[in-house]
Amino acid sequence: MPTTFFGWVGFLLEQYGGLFLSGTGMTLLIALSGTAFGFLIGLLVAIVRTLDVPRGMGPIKRALRKAAHALIAVYIQIFRGTPMIVQAMVIYYGSMQYLGIDMDRTVAAILIISINTGAYMAEIIRGGIVSVDRGQFEAAHAIGMTHWQTMTTVVLPQAIRNILPSVGNELIVNIKDSSVLNVISVSELFFQAKSAAGTYYKYFEVFFIIACIYLALTVTVSRVLRYVEKRMDGPDNYVICGSQSDSRAEIVVNREQEEEVDRQWQSR
Amino acid sequence: MAEQVIRVEGLKKSFGDHQVLRGIDFAANKGEVVCIIGSSGSGKSTLLRCINLLETPDEGKILYHGRDILTDERISMPQYHAKVGMVFQQFNLFGNMTALENCMTGQMKVLRRSRAQSMENAMKYLRKVGMEAYVGAKPRQLSGGQKQRVAIARALSMDPEVILFDEPTSALDPEMVGEVLSVMQNLAQEGLTMLVVTHEMGFARAVADHVVFMDQGVIAEEGAPDDVLGAPRHERLRSFLRSML
Repeated sequence: MPTTFFGWVGFLLEQYGGLFLSGTGMTLLIALSGTAFGFLIGLLVAIVRTLDVPRGMGPIKRALRKAAHALIAVYIQIFRGTPMIVQAMVIYYGSMQYLGIDMDRTVAAILIISINTGAYMAEIIRGGIVSVDRGQFEAAHAIGMTHWQTMTTVVLPQAIRNILPSVGNELIVNIKDSSVLNVISVSELFFQAKSAAGTYYKYFEVFFIIACIYLALTVTVSRVLRYVEKRMDGPDNYVICGSQSDSRAEIVVNREQEEEVDRQWQSR
Repeated sequence: MAEQVIRVEGLKKSFGDHQVLRGIDFAANKGEVVCIIGSSGSGKSTLLRCINLLETPDEGKILYHGRDILTDERISMPQYHAKVGMVFQQFNLFGNMTALENCMTGQMKVLRRSRAQSMENAMKYLRKVGMEAYVGAKPRQLSGGQKQRVAIARALSMDPEVILFDEPTSALDPEMVGEVLSVMQNLAQEGLTMLVVTHEMGFARAVADHVVFMDQGVIAEEGAPDDVLGAPRHERLRSFLRSML
Protein backbone atom coordinates (compact mmCIF):
# COMPACT_ATOMS: atom_id res chain seq x y z
CA MET A 1 0.00 0.00 0.00
CA PRO A 2 1.28 3.52 -0.79
CA THR A 3 2.28 5.71 2.15
CA THR A 4 2.38 9.25 0.73
CA PHE A 5 -0.41 11.46 -0.64
CA PHE A 6 0.92 11.40 -4.20
CA GLY A 7 1.55 7.69 -3.86
CA TRP A 8 -2.12 7.21 -3.12
CA VAL A 9 -3.17 9.53 -5.96
CA GLY A 10 -1.07 7.48 -8.40
CA PHE A 11 -2.38 4.21 -7.01
CA LEU A 12 -6.02 5.32 -7.19
CA LEU A 13 -5.58 6.63 -10.72
CA GLU A 14 -4.17 3.27 -11.74
CA GLN A 15 -6.95 1.35 -10.01
CA TYR A 16 -9.90 3.55 -10.91
CA GLY A 17 -8.69 5.55 -13.93
CA GLY A 18 -11.15 3.81 -16.21
CA LEU A 19 -14.00 4.40 -13.80
CA PHE A 20 -13.17 8.12 -13.52
CA LEU A 21 -12.92 8.37 -17.27
CA SER A 22 -16.33 6.78 -17.84
CA GLY A 23 -17.73 9.06 -15.10
CA THR A 24 -16.25 12.07 -16.88
CA GLY A 25 -17.83 10.89 -20.13
CA MET A 26 -21.22 10.53 -18.45
CA THR A 27 -20.95 13.96 -16.80
CA LEU A 28 -20.09 15.55 -20.12
CA LEU A 29 -22.89 13.70 -21.90
CA ILE A 30 -25.63 14.79 -19.50
CA ALA A 31 -24.27 18.33 -19.07
CA LEU A 32 -23.86 18.96 -22.80
CA SER A 33 -27.11 17.37 -23.96
CA GLY A 34 -28.99 18.82 -20.98
CA THR A 35 -27.74 22.30 -21.86
CA ALA A 36 -28.53 21.81 -25.55
CA PHE A 37 -32.09 20.57 -24.93
CA GLY A 38 -32.53 23.20 -22.24
CA PHE A 39 -31.50 25.83 -24.77
CA LEU A 40 -34.11 24.57 -27.25
CA ILE A 41 -36.81 24.56 -24.58
CA GLY A 42 -35.79 28.07 -23.55
CA LEU A 43 -35.80 29.27 -27.15
CA LEU A 44 -39.29 27.95 -27.79
CA VAL A 45 -40.62 29.37 -24.53
CA ALA A 46 -38.98 32.75 -25.16
CA ILE A 47 -40.39 33.04 -28.69
CA VAL A 48 -43.89 32.19 -27.45
CA ARG A 49 -43.48 34.80 -24.73
CA THR A 50 -42.55 37.52 -27.22
CA LEU A 51 -45.82 37.00 -29.13
CA ASP A 52 -48.31 39.45 -27.75
CA VAL A 53 -52.06 38.95 -27.56
CA PRO A 54 -53.49 41.45 -30.05
CA ARG A 55 -56.96 42.83 -29.56
CA GLY A 56 -58.14 41.83 -33.02
CA MET A 57 -57.52 38.14 -32.42
CA GLY A 58 -60.26 35.50 -32.37
CA PRO A 59 -61.45 34.46 -28.89
CA ILE A 60 -60.22 30.85 -29.09
CA LYS A 61 -56.75 31.79 -30.31
CA ARG A 62 -56.63 34.50 -27.70
CA ALA A 63 -57.53 32.10 -24.91
CA LEU A 64 -54.94 29.58 -26.13
CA ARG A 65 -52.21 32.16 -26.18
CA LYS A 66 -53.11 33.43 -22.74
CA ALA A 67 -53.14 29.84 -21.41
CA ALA A 68 -49.70 29.24 -22.96
CA HIS A 69 -48.33 32.36 -21.29
CA ALA A 70 -49.76 31.30 -17.91
CA LEU A 71 -48.39 27.77 -18.27
CA ILE A 72 -44.94 29.10 -19.08
CA ALA A 73 -44.97 31.38 -16.04
CA VAL A 74 -45.82 28.42 -13.79
CA TYR A 75 -43.12 26.24 -15.40
CA ILE A 76 -40.41 28.86 -14.88
CA GLN A 77 -41.52 29.57 -11.34
CA ILE A 78 -41.51 25.91 -10.29
CA PHE A 79 -38.21 24.88 -11.86
CA ARG A 80 -36.32 27.98 -10.82
CA GLY A 81 -37.88 27.92 -7.38
CA THR A 82 -36.93 24.39 -6.25
CA PRO A 83 -33.50 22.71 -6.00
CA MET A 84 -32.52 20.44 -8.88
CA ILE A 85 -31.65 17.66 -6.41
CA VAL A 86 -35.26 17.72 -5.20
CA GLN A 87 -36.62 17.85 -8.75
CA ALA A 88 -34.55 14.76 -9.55
CA MET A 89 -36.07 12.81 -6.65
CA VAL A 90 -39.62 13.93 -7.38
CA ILE A 91 -39.47 13.24 -11.12
CA TYR A 92 -37.53 9.98 -10.97
CA TYR A 93 -39.31 8.33 -8.07
CA GLY A 94 -42.64 9.95 -8.82
CA SER A 95 -42.76 8.58 -12.33
CA MET A 96 -41.72 5.16 -11.02
CA GLN A 97 -44.24 4.92 -8.17
CA TYR A 98 -47.27 6.63 -9.65
CA LEU A 99 -46.89 6.35 -13.42
CA GLY A 100 -45.19 2.98 -13.45
CA ILE A 101 -42.40 4.27 -15.71
CA ASP A 102 -38.98 2.85 -14.87
CA MET A 103 -36.87 5.44 -16.60
CA ASP A 104 -33.36 4.71 -17.74
CA ARG A 105 -31.20 6.64 -15.27
CA THR A 106 -29.22 8.40 -17.96
CA VAL A 107 -32.37 9.45 -19.78
CA ALA A 108 -33.86 10.64 -16.50
CA ALA A 109 -30.73 12.65 -15.76
CA ILE A 110 -30.75 14.35 -19.17
CA LEU A 111 -34.48 15.04 -18.84
CA ILE A 112 -34.11 16.64 -15.43
CA ILE A 113 -31.17 18.83 -16.44
CA SER A 114 -32.96 19.85 -19.66
CA ILE A 115 -36.17 20.91 -17.95
CA ASN A 116 -34.28 22.71 -15.21
CA THR A 117 -31.94 24.49 -17.62
CA GLY A 118 -34.88 25.33 -19.90
CA ALA A 119 -36.47 27.40 -17.14
CA TYR A 120 -33.31 29.48 -16.73
CA MET A 121 -32.64 29.67 -20.48
CA ALA A 122 -36.15 30.97 -21.13
CA GLU A 123 -35.36 34.04 -19.07
CA ILE A 124 -31.85 34.42 -20.48
CA ILE A 125 -33.08 34.22 -24.08
CA ARG A 126 -36.00 36.55 -23.42
CA GLY A 127 -33.47 39.01 -22.06
CA GLY A 128 -31.40 38.54 -25.20
CA ILE A 129 -34.37 39.22 -27.47
CA VAL A 130 -35.37 42.29 -25.47
CA SER A 131 -31.80 43.59 -25.70
CA VAL A 132 -31.95 43.67 -29.51
CA ASP A 133 -32.83 47.20 -30.58
CA ARG A 134 -36.49 47.72 -31.51
CA GLY A 135 -35.29 49.32 -34.75
CA GLN A 136 -34.12 45.90 -35.93
CA PHE A 137 -37.68 44.53 -35.68
CA GLU A 138 -39.06 47.63 -37.39
CA ALA A 139 -36.57 47.50 -40.24
CA ALA A 140 -37.34 43.83 -40.81
CA HIS A 141 -41.11 44.44 -40.77
CA ALA A 142 -40.63 47.44 -43.04
CA ILE A 143 -39.16 45.25 -45.78
CA GLY A 144 -42.01 42.80 -45.41
CA MET A 145 -40.59 40.03 -43.23
CA THR A 146 -43.02 38.00 -41.15
CA HIS A 147 -42.60 37.70 -37.37
CA TRP A 148 -40.98 34.30 -37.87
CA GLN A 149 -38.56 35.53 -40.55
CA THR A 150 -37.66 38.55 -38.44
CA MET A 151 -36.91 36.32 -35.49
CA THR A 152 -34.87 33.70 -37.30
CA THR A 153 -32.85 35.90 -39.65
CA VAL A 154 -32.40 39.16 -37.76
CA VAL A 155 -33.24 39.05 -34.08
CA LEU A 156 -32.21 35.62 -32.80
CA PRO A 157 -28.73 35.63 -34.38
CA GLN A 158 -28.01 38.88 -32.56
CA ALA A 159 -29.78 37.83 -29.37
CA ILE A 160 -27.89 34.54 -29.23
CA ARG A 161 -24.56 36.26 -29.78
CA ASN A 162 -25.39 38.62 -26.91
CA ILE A 163 -26.36 35.86 -24.50
CA LEU A 164 -23.56 33.44 -25.37
CA PRO A 165 -21.63 34.27 -22.18
CA SER A 166 -24.72 33.43 -20.10
CA VAL A 167 -25.30 30.22 -22.04
CA GLY A 168 -21.68 29.28 -21.36
CA ASN A 169 -22.33 29.95 -17.70
CA GLU A 170 -25.26 27.55 -17.75
CA LEU A 171 -23.10 24.85 -19.35
CA ILE A 172 -20.42 25.26 -16.68
CA VAL A 173 -23.03 25.19 -13.93
CA ASN A 174 -24.47 22.02 -15.45
CA ILE A 175 -21.08 20.30 -15.60
CA LYS A 176 -20.70 20.91 -11.88
CA ASP A 177 -24.30 20.55 -10.75
CA SER A 178 -24.89 17.30 -12.62
CA SER A 179 -23.09 15.86 -9.57
CA VAL A 180 -26.31 16.17 -7.58
CA LEU A 181 -27.84 13.54 -9.87
CA ASN A 182 -25.87 10.93 -7.96
CA VAL A 183 -29.02 10.78 -5.80
CA ILE A 184 -30.71 8.83 -8.58
CA SER A 185 -27.54 6.73 -9.05
CA VAL A 186 -26.50 8.02 -12.46
CA SER A 187 -22.94 6.83 -13.05
CA GLU A 188 -21.54 10.36 -13.47
CA LEU A 189 -18.22 11.55 -12.06
CA PHE A 190 -19.28 12.24 -8.48
CA PHE A 191 -21.12 8.93 -8.21
CA GLN A 192 -18.09 6.99 -9.47
CA ALA A 193 -15.84 8.87 -7.08
CA LYS A 194 -18.04 8.01 -4.12
CA SER A 195 -17.84 4.31 -4.87
CA ALA A 196 -14.08 4.47 -5.47
CA ALA A 197 -13.40 6.44 -2.30
CA GLY A 198 -15.35 4.01 -0.13
CA THR A 199 -13.21 1.00 -1.03
CA TYR A 200 -9.95 2.21 0.57
CA TYR A 201 -11.54 4.91 2.68
CA LYS A 202 -9.48 7.54 0.82
CA TYR A 203 -11.98 10.40 0.43
CA PHE A 204 -9.50 13.26 0.27
CA GLU A 205 -7.26 11.68 -2.38
CA VAL A 206 -10.13 10.59 -4.62
CA PHE A 207 -11.96 13.89 -4.41
CA PHE A 208 -8.72 15.75 -5.03
CA ILE A 209 -8.48 13.90 -8.35
CA ILE A 210 -12.16 14.56 -9.06
CA ALA A 211 -11.77 18.28 -8.34
CA CYS A 212 -8.92 18.41 -10.86
CA ILE A 213 -11.06 16.70 -13.47
CA TYR A 214 -14.00 19.09 -12.94
CA LEU A 215 -11.65 22.04 -13.15
CA ALA A 216 -10.07 20.75 -16.35
CA LEU A 217 -13.54 20.33 -17.88
CA THR A 218 -14.77 23.80 -16.98
CA VAL A 219 -11.56 25.54 -18.03
CA THR A 220 -11.65 23.79 -21.41
CA VAL A 221 -15.31 24.66 -21.93
CA SER A 222 -14.69 28.34 -21.10
CA ARG A 223 -11.88 28.48 -23.64
CA VAL A 224 -13.93 26.84 -26.35
CA LEU A 225 -16.79 29.27 -25.74
CA ARG A 226 -14.49 32.28 -26.00
CA TYR A 227 -13.32 30.94 -29.33
CA VAL A 228 -16.91 30.47 -30.55
CA GLU A 229 -17.75 34.05 -29.54
CA LYS A 230 -14.84 35.37 -31.54
CA ARG A 231 -15.85 33.30 -34.54
CA MET A 232 -19.41 34.64 -34.38
CA ASP A 233 -18.15 38.23 -34.31
CA GLY A 234 -16.40 37.68 -37.62
CA PRO A 235 -13.18 39.35 -38.63
CA ASP A 236 -12.34 42.79 -37.28
CA ASN A 237 -11.22 44.00 -40.67
CA TYR A 238 -12.92 44.15 -44.02
CA VAL A 239 -11.73 44.51 -47.58
CA ILE A 240 -12.39 47.61 -49.62
CA CYS A 241 -13.00 46.24 -53.09
CA GLY A 242 -11.20 48.03 -55.87
CA SER A 243 -9.46 51.37 -55.56
CA GLN A 244 -9.30 54.43 -57.72
CA SER A 245 -5.95 53.57 -59.28
CA ASP A 246 -6.31 49.83 -59.72
CA SER A 247 -9.52 47.86 -59.64
CA ARG A 248 -7.61 44.75 -58.60
CA ALA A 249 -6.06 46.38 -55.56
CA GLU A 250 -7.43 45.40 -52.20
CA ILE A 251 -6.97 47.66 -49.23
CA VAL A 252 -7.37 45.85 -45.96
CA VAL A 253 -8.69 48.06 -43.22
CA ASN A 254 -7.91 46.84 -39.75
CA ARG A 255 -9.74 48.34 -36.81
CA GLU A 256 -6.79 47.96 -34.47
CA GLN A 257 -4.52 49.74 -36.90
CA GLU A 258 -7.05 52.51 -37.29
CA GLU A 259 -7.39 52.89 -33.54
CA GLU A 260 -3.60 52.94 -33.21
CA VAL A 261 -3.39 55.75 -35.77
CA ASP A 262 -6.12 57.63 -33.90
CA ARG A 263 -4.23 57.29 -30.64
CA GLN A 264 -1.06 58.59 -32.22
CA TRP A 265 -2.91 61.56 -33.62
CA GLN A 266 -4.56 62.39 -30.36
CA SER A 267 -1.33 62.14 -28.36
CA ARG A 268 0.29 64.85 -30.46
CA MET B 1 -53.99 64.27 -63.28
CA ALA B 2 -51.13 62.06 -62.22
CA GLU B 3 -51.82 58.74 -60.59
CA GLN B 4 -52.09 58.77 -56.81
CA VAL B 5 -49.85 56.17 -55.20
CA ILE B 6 -50.59 56.91 -51.56
CA ARG B 7 -53.65 58.68 -50.26
CA VAL B 8 -54.39 59.28 -46.60
CA GLU B 9 -57.91 60.18 -45.46
CA GLY B 10 -58.94 61.34 -41.99
CA LEU B 11 -56.07 59.61 -40.25
CA LYS B 12 -56.15 59.72 -36.45
CA LYS B 13 -53.78 58.20 -33.93
CA SER B 14 -53.45 58.52 -30.18
CA PHE B 15 -50.89 57.21 -27.74
CA GLY B 16 -52.80 56.92 -24.48
CA ASP B 17 -54.53 60.24 -23.85
CA HIS B 18 -52.29 62.11 -26.23
CA GLN B 19 -53.73 62.53 -29.71
CA VAL B 20 -50.76 62.75 -32.05
CA LEU B 21 -52.61 62.77 -35.39
CA ARG B 22 -55.92 64.63 -35.45
CA GLY B 23 -57.28 63.96 -38.91
CA ILE B 24 -54.73 63.98 -41.71
CA ASP B 25 -55.67 64.13 -45.41
CA PHE B 26 -53.09 64.19 -48.10
CA ALA B 27 -51.90 62.38 -51.22
CA ALA B 28 -48.66 61.64 -53.03
CA ASN B 29 -48.66 61.31 -56.80
CA LYS B 30 -46.46 58.95 -58.75
CA GLY B 31 -42.95 60.32 -59.17
CA GLU B 32 -43.52 63.10 -56.70
CA VAL B 33 -41.28 64.11 -53.81
CA VAL B 34 -43.30 65.21 -50.80
CA CYS B 35 -41.40 66.79 -47.93
CA ILE B 36 -43.09 66.84 -44.55
CA ILE B 37 -41.82 69.53 -42.19
CA GLY B 38 -42.79 70.68 -38.74
CA SER B 39 -41.42 70.97 -35.23
CA SER B 40 -40.82 67.87 -33.17
CA GLY B 41 -43.96 66.42 -31.66
CA SER B 42 -46.10 67.63 -34.56
CA GLY B 43 -46.79 64.03 -35.68
CA LYS B 44 -44.61 63.84 -38.82
CA SER B 45 -42.88 60.62 -37.91
CA THR B 46 -46.07 59.05 -36.61
CA LEU B 47 -47.74 59.81 -39.95
CA LEU B 48 -44.95 58.04 -41.81
CA ARG B 49 -45.00 55.12 -39.40
CA CYS B 50 -48.75 54.78 -39.86
CA ILE B 51 -48.37 54.69 -43.64
CA ASN B 52 -45.90 51.85 -43.19
CA LEU B 53 -48.12 50.22 -40.55
CA LEU B 54 -45.42 50.27 -37.90
CA GLU B 55 -48.23 51.96 -35.96
CA THR B 56 -51.86 50.99 -36.37
CA PRO B 57 -54.05 54.05 -36.99
CA ASP B 58 -57.11 54.51 -34.77
CA GLU B 59 -59.27 55.97 -37.50
CA GLY B 60 -59.10 56.84 -41.16
CA LYS B 61 -57.97 55.25 -44.39
CA ILE B 62 -54.62 54.67 -46.04
CA LEU B 63 -55.15 54.03 -49.73
CA TYR B 64 -52.50 52.43 -51.89
CA HIS B 65 -53.54 52.80 -55.52
CA GLY B 66 -57.07 53.37 -54.27
CA ARG B 67 -57.20 50.29 -52.06
CA ASP B 68 -57.44 50.61 -48.31
CA ILE B 69 -54.51 48.69 -46.86
CA LEU B 70 -56.20 48.42 -43.48
CA THR B 71 -59.25 46.56 -44.72
CA ASP B 72 -58.73 45.38 -48.30
CA GLU B 73 -57.80 41.72 -48.16
CA ARG B 74 -56.47 41.68 -51.72
CA ILE B 75 -53.34 43.41 -50.46
CA SER B 76 -50.91 41.10 -48.73
CA MET B 77 -48.84 42.83 -46.08
CA PRO B 78 -45.42 41.52 -47.16
CA GLN B 79 -46.13 42.65 -50.72
CA TYR B 80 -47.26 46.07 -49.55
CA HIS B 81 -44.13 46.45 -47.43
CA ALA B 82 -41.99 45.43 -50.37
CA LYS B 83 -43.63 48.15 -52.48
CA VAL B 84 -43.40 50.82 -49.80
CA GLY B 85 -39.86 50.99 -48.46
CA MET B 86 -38.65 52.81 -45.40
CA VAL B 87 -35.42 54.53 -44.37
CA PHE B 88 -35.03 55.26 -40.66
CA GLN B 89 -33.38 58.03 -38.71
CA GLN B 90 -31.28 55.47 -36.83
CA PHE B 91 -30.47 53.47 -40.02
CA ASN B 92 -31.47 50.17 -38.39
CA LEU B 93 -29.17 48.11 -40.54
CA PHE B 94 -29.23 44.45 -39.51
CA GLY B 95 -26.26 44.23 -37.15
CA ASN B 96 -25.53 40.58 -37.84
CA MET B 97 -25.13 41.02 -41.59
CA THR B 98 -22.69 42.68 -43.95
CA ALA B 99 -23.71 45.61 -46.15
CA LEU B 100 -24.35 43.22 -49.04
CA GLU B 101 -26.36 40.76 -46.94
CA ASN B 102 -28.46 43.64 -45.61
CA CYS B 103 -29.50 44.36 -49.19
CA MET B 104 -30.04 40.71 -50.12
CA THR B 105 -32.00 39.22 -47.25
CA GLY B 106 -35.33 40.94 -47.95
CA GLN B 107 -35.19 40.05 -51.63
CA MET B 108 -34.57 36.41 -50.81
CA LYS B 109 -36.99 36.04 -47.89
CA VAL B 110 -39.85 38.29 -48.98
CA LEU B 111 -39.63 38.42 -52.78
CA ARG B 112 -38.29 34.86 -53.05
CA ARG B 113 -35.60 35.88 -55.49
CA SER B 114 -32.66 33.60 -56.09
CA ARG B 115 -29.37 34.28 -54.35
CA ALA B 116 -27.61 35.24 -57.58
CA GLN B 117 -30.40 37.57 -58.66
CA SER B 118 -30.58 39.17 -55.22
CA MET B 119 -26.85 39.74 -55.18
CA GLU B 120 -26.85 41.29 -58.65
CA ASN B 121 -29.67 43.64 -57.71
CA ALA B 122 -28.09 44.51 -54.36
CA MET B 123 -24.79 45.33 -56.07
CA LYS B 124 -26.60 47.53 -58.58
CA TYR B 125 -28.04 49.69 -55.81
CA LEU B 126 -24.94 49.64 -53.61
CA ARG B 127 -23.09 51.01 -56.61
CA LYS B 128 -25.76 53.65 -57.06
CA VAL B 129 -25.26 54.93 -53.51
CA GLY B 130 -21.49 54.67 -53.84
CA MET B 131 -21.05 51.89 -51.29
CA GLU B 132 -19.97 49.05 -53.58
CA ALA B 133 -16.48 49.06 -52.05
CA TYR B 134 -17.86 48.23 -48.62
CA VAL B 135 -19.98 45.17 -49.42
CA GLY B 136 -18.12 43.04 -46.86
CA ALA B 137 -18.28 45.54 -44.01
CA LYS B 138 -20.53 45.08 -40.99
CA PRO B 139 -22.66 48.06 -39.92
CA ARG B 140 -20.54 48.64 -36.78
CA GLN B 141 -17.55 49.26 -39.06
CA LEU B 142 -19.26 52.00 -41.09
CA SER B 143 -19.76 55.69 -40.44
CA GLY B 144 -23.25 57.15 -40.04
CA GLY B 145 -23.39 58.47 -43.59
CA GLN B 146 -22.18 55.16 -44.99
CA LYS B 147 -24.75 53.26 -42.93
CA GLN B 148 -27.55 55.49 -44.17
CA ARG B 149 -26.46 55.01 -47.79
CA VAL B 150 -26.49 51.23 -47.29
CA ALA B 151 -29.93 51.56 -45.70
CA ILE B 152 -31.14 53.43 -48.80
CA ALA B 153 -29.66 50.69 -51.01
CA ARG B 154 -31.45 48.11 -48.86
CA ALA B 155 -34.77 49.87 -49.42
CA LEU B 156 -34.08 50.23 -53.16
CA SER B 157 -33.15 46.56 -53.50
CA MET B 158 -36.77 45.61 -52.94
CA ASP B 159 -37.61 47.63 -56.08
CA PRO B 160 -40.25 49.67 -54.25
CA GLU B 161 -42.66 52.16 -55.72
CA VAL B 162 -42.41 54.57 -52.81
CA ILE B 163 -39.77 55.12 -50.17
CA LEU B 164 -40.59 56.77 -46.87
CA PHE B 165 -37.67 58.65 -45.32
CA ASP B 166 -38.00 59.33 -41.60
CA GLU B 167 -35.53 62.14 -40.82
CA PRO B 168 -32.76 60.36 -42.71
CA THR B 169 -30.05 62.90 -41.88
CA SER B 170 -30.99 63.89 -38.33
CA ALA B 171 -28.67 61.37 -36.66
CA LEU B 172 -25.69 62.20 -38.88
CA ASP B 173 -22.63 64.29 -38.22
CA PRO B 174 -22.91 67.55 -40.19
CA GLU B 175 -20.21 66.63 -42.70
CA MET B 176 -22.07 63.44 -43.64
CA VAL B 177 -25.43 65.02 -44.34
CA GLY B 178 -24.40 66.06 -47.84
CA GLU B 179 -23.51 62.58 -49.09
CA VAL B 180 -26.91 61.21 -48.06
CA LEU B 181 -28.88 64.17 -49.44
CA SER B 182 -27.11 63.93 -52.80
CA VAL B 183 -28.05 60.24 -53.06
CA MET B 184 -31.65 61.18 -52.32
CA GLN B 185 -31.57 64.00 -54.85
CA ASN B 186 -30.42 61.55 -57.54
CA LEU B 187 -33.28 59.21 -56.69
CA ALA B 188 -35.74 62.09 -56.95
CA GLN B 189 -34.44 62.97 -60.39
CA GLU B 190 -34.92 59.37 -61.50
CA GLY B 191 -38.59 59.66 -60.67
CA LEU B 192 -38.88 57.64 -57.48
CA THR B 193 -41.88 58.59 -55.36
CA MET B 194 -40.61 59.79 -52.01
CA LEU B 195 -42.17 60.93 -48.75
CA VAL B 196 -39.48 62.68 -46.73
CA VAL B 197 -39.77 63.88 -43.16
CA THR B 198 -36.90 66.31 -42.87
CA HIS B 199 -35.43 69.34 -41.19
CA GLU B 200 -33.27 70.12 -44.23
CA MET B 201 -35.06 73.17 -45.65
CA GLY B 202 -32.50 73.54 -48.43
CA PHE B 203 -33.27 70.02 -49.60
CA ALA B 204 -37.02 70.59 -49.36
CA ARG B 205 -36.81 73.75 -51.41
CA ALA B 206 -34.54 72.25 -54.08
CA VAL B 207 -36.01 68.78 -54.45
CA ALA B 208 -39.61 68.70 -53.21
CA ASP B 209 -42.58 68.93 -55.56
CA HIS B 210 -44.88 69.42 -52.63
CA VAL B 211 -44.25 70.57 -49.07
CA VAL B 212 -46.51 69.73 -46.14
CA PHE B 213 -46.23 71.66 -42.87
CA MET B 214 -47.59 69.79 -39.89
CA ASP B 215 -48.48 71.40 -36.63
CA GLN B 216 -50.04 69.75 -33.56
CA GLY B 217 -51.33 66.74 -35.40
CA VAL B 218 -52.87 68.45 -38.42
CA ILE B 219 -51.64 69.73 -41.75
CA ALA B 220 -51.45 73.47 -41.22
CA GLU B 221 -50.24 74.44 -44.66
CA GLU B 222 -49.22 72.71 -47.87
CA GLY B 223 -48.34 73.48 -51.43
CA ALA B 224 -45.44 74.13 -53.78
CA PRO B 225 -42.11 74.66 -51.99
CA ASP B 226 -41.76 78.23 -53.16
CA ASP B 227 -45.16 79.12 -51.74
CA VAL B 228 -44.89 77.26 -48.44
CA LEU B 229 -41.26 78.05 -47.72
CA GLY B 230 -41.05 81.36 -49.61
CA ALA B 231 -44.35 82.96 -48.72
CA PRO B 232 -45.72 81.27 -45.59
CA ARG B 233 -49.23 82.30 -44.66
CA HIS B 234 -49.47 80.98 -41.10
CA GLU B 235 -47.71 82.59 -38.19
CA ARG B 236 -46.67 79.20 -36.78
CA LEU B 237 -45.02 78.25 -40.05
CA ARG B 238 -43.26 81.60 -40.18
CA SER B 239 -41.88 81.18 -36.66
CA PHE B 240 -40.93 77.58 -37.45
CA LEU B 241 -39.02 78.66 -40.54
CA ARG B 242 -37.30 81.43 -38.59
CA SER B 243 -36.16 78.91 -35.99
CA MET B 244 -34.67 76.71 -38.71
CA LEU B 245 -32.28 79.42 -39.90
